[in-house]
Amino acid sequence: MALLAWGFNHPVTTWACSVCFTGTGDAVTDGFNASVLFLMVTPYAVVGGIVGGLLFAYRRASRKRAQSESEAIEHFAWIQEDSLR
Amino acid sequence: MAQDSTARKLDEAPPVRDAKRPSFGGGKPPPPVRPQTPFASNLWLAVLMLLGAEAMFFAGLIGAFLVFRIANPVWPPPFQPRLPIEVTGVNTAILLASAFTIRLGLKAIQRGDRSRLLRLLSWTAAAGAIFLTIQGIEWFRLLHFGLTLSSSIYGGLFYTIIGCHALHVFGALIWLLIVWQKARAGKYTRQNYVGLQTCSMYWVFVVGLWPVLYGLVYLY
Repeated sequence: MALLAWGFNHPVTTWACSVCFTGTGDAVTDGFNASVLFLMVTPYAVVGGIVGGLLFAYRRASRKRAQSESEAIEHFAWIQEDSLR
Repeated sequence: MAQDSTARKLDEAPPVRDAKRPSFGGGKPPPPVRPQTPFASNLWLAVLMLLGAEAMFFAGLIGAFLVFRIANPVWPPPFQPRLPIEVTGVNTAILLASAFTIRLGLKAIQRGDRSRLLRLLSWTAAAGAIFLTIQGIEWFRLLHFGLTLSSSIYGGLFYTIIGCHALHVFGALIWLLIVWQKARAGKYTRQNYVGLQTCSMYWVFVVGLWPVLYGLVYLY
């Protein structure tokens, strides 16, 4: 975090990294920046999509279960003598 | 010692006569017995993970495209053929329609309507085949105009990204035909249609990916 904060306060120094080349305004730099940003965001979107899909499936299954509970289900009779308790 | 260890009948506990019997007014009945089914099938989960991996694969290709596209202010590069935007736009509409038909097919089997499912699967497969055919024709034309995989970065990116998507559509089409065959044999019912559901997931993913690629490669 401290390194990141330092980098934001000294942008000219951080432009010297291997992919930033000449700082903002350069087309190649902008291309790399956009690509890196996109590839950094994508895993979050993919994992979010998977978690969203699981949540959706869980809620749908819960709704179906609640629906089936409201329908008539045959109850087993409890016979104390047969239970040997 | 040996005599003590021989098996003998244990004394049975006498039945409790004065206990209350819940099912006859002696208390609440026991809860109903239900099968413990998981909320998602293993196949569904596997396909979900596969789609995540596929999304990352295409994200890598899009990332590479963004670098070259943004780095080159003039795009397409000079002396390179232009991509067929209008024909591919119509092709996009055909492919998008196929996502609706497969979803309607899924709804049909949930209602138990097998003949409607077969009809909708046929429409979906036909739309996928038309999409691939039009893409193939356009590729032949572009090759004829000199746009090849090695002619430039432009050609390399175009054939890699669009080619990978076309391969995925082809794979999804084969999967769809297998599902169609199984549906015809009556393998899917109102209760059991997970094979169709996963195929539908994959198809919708492949279809949903195409407008993104079309917008990037053809229009941007």
